Amino acid sequence: MVIAPRPWLHGFLDLCLLAMLHERPDYGYGLAQRLAAAGVADVPGGTLYPALLRLEQQGLAEPSWHPSESGPRRKYYAVTAAGRAALDTQVAEWHQFRDGIDQLVTAGAAR
Amino acid sequence: MTPAPHRGKPESGWAGRFEDELLRLGLQPGRARELTEETTQQAAESATAPDALFGPAHLYARHLLTELNTAPHPAIANPNPRPAPGPGPYLDPGPYLGPGPDLGPDLGPALDPGPSPGLGPGYGVGHGAVRLRLAGVSKRYRRRTVFSNVDLTVRAGEVTAIVGANGCGKSTLLRICAGLVRPSDGTVHRTRRVGFVPQDGGTAGWLTASEHFTLFGAAAGLAYRRARSTGEHLAGRLAWRPAPDQLAQHLSGGTRQKLNLVLGELHAPDLLLLDEPYQGFDQGTYLDFWRQVHAWRDAGKAVVVVTHLLHDLQHADHVYDLGAAA
Repeated sequence: MVIAPRPWLHGFLDLCLLAMLHERPDYGYGLAQRLAAAGVADVPGGTLYPALLRLEQQGLAEPSWHPSESGPRRKYYAVTAAGRAALDTQVAEWHQFRDGIDQLVTAGAAR
Repeated sequence: MTPAPHRGKPESGWAGRFEDELLRLGLQPGRARELTEETTQQAAESATAPDALFGPAHLYARHLLTELNTAPHPAIANPNPRPAPGPGPYLDPGPYLGPGPDLGPDLGPALDPGPSPGLGPGYGVGHGAVRLRLAGVSKRYRRRTVFSNVDLTVRAGEVTAIVGANGCGKSTLLRICAGLVRPSDGTVHRTRRVGFVPQDGGTAGWLTASEHFTLFGAAAGLAYRRARSTGEHLAGRLAWRPAPDQLAQHLSGGTRQKLNLVLGELHAPDLLLLDEPYQGFDQGTYLDFWRQVHAWRDAGKAVVVVTHLLHDLQHADHVYDLGAAA
C-alpha cells in the first residue's frame, strides 16, 4: 500500500483523529492502526500521542479508561460537543482545500 | 547529564530521564509526573518500549512540550510551510557535488569513492565505505568520566545524528571525531579529508568572508580564485551572498554560522562534522541547511550532526544517543 509522504498529514492529523473518534471511541494504538489501514499515514508515537493529549487539553476529546483482555488498561478517547463542532469546521475546510487541489490537478492533467 | 533533583520517588530509566527533563524545562512537578505517567501508559498500551516509541527521553520531553504549547490551527492553507525560494544559485543542484568545474584537479582525490588509505583494508565492506570509526572511546577529565566506551561507525552516504542532554559531552565527542581532542581510551580511525564546523568560533572577526575563503582554501591547497569562487558558490546555496567589505565580526550570528559551514566544506571533505551549525538560522535557512545535508549524503559524503532537536532526527539515517550510552 502506498502511504502518503509524512508532511502531507501535517495539519490534517487533528481532523483525522476527530473523525475517527467520532465514528467510534478508540485508544492511541487503535487509531494508529486505523490511519495505517486507511493508507493515510504511518504515524509515529511521537506525533500521535502529543496530538491526542492536545485534543484532550483543548476539551475536544474526552478520555476514559478501559481494561483490556491482554495487557495494561487503555485510555479511550471520545469526541466532546466542542470536538464535534471543531470537526465540522475542519471538514468544511478540508473539502474546500481538496476541491481546490483537485481543480488545479485536473486542469493541469487535461492539457 | 546530572539529573535535576526532584522530590518524590526517584525513577530510573527512560521515564526518569523524561521526568527530569520536563522539570528542567520548567514544568510544575505535579504536571511533570502526570505527563510521565501518561507517557509510560501510552508506551504500555502499544506494547512498545518508550524509547522505541518516542525516541530519546530528553528530546521527546522538549517535543511534547512544544506540541502541547502550540495552538493547532489546521494548517490546511499551507501544508508546506516553506515559501518557494526565489531564483538563485542555491536552487541549482550544483556542480561541486561531483567532480565538476568548480573543484578541479586540486580537490580530485577528495572525491575518490574508495576507502581512504588511513583506514586500511576491510573498511569498505557494507553500504558505503567507512569514513569514521570509533571503538571503545572514552573521555575523562581528571576523575570525571564524560562518556565511556563509545562505538560509532559512520559510512559514506549516511547522516548520523549525535544526541544527548546538555553536558553529556556531544561537542567533546565531535572534537574527538575531528582529531582536535585526544580520547582517554579507545581508537579513532577517520578518513583523510575531514570538514569540521564548530558551534561557534572558528572565524576571525577582522577578516571578510572572501578572505576566509582564501585563507582556508590556501590551507587546503586551493588557488586563490578557486577558493573564492567555491566559497561564494557554497554561500549561495545557503541563500547568502557575502558583501565584499564586511568583516566577520559584523555578521549576524546566523550568517557567521553560514560562513563556518562554507569553510567546513570548502575543501570538499569526505566526512563532515557539524556541531549544531544552524544556531541563529531562520526557518527557511534551516530547511536549506537540511537540503544541503541531504545533497552531501547523496553525493556520498558521510555527515555527523550534533543536535538537540527532535525534528532533526527525521533527517538522520542513524541516531547515536550519547546520554543513553554514558
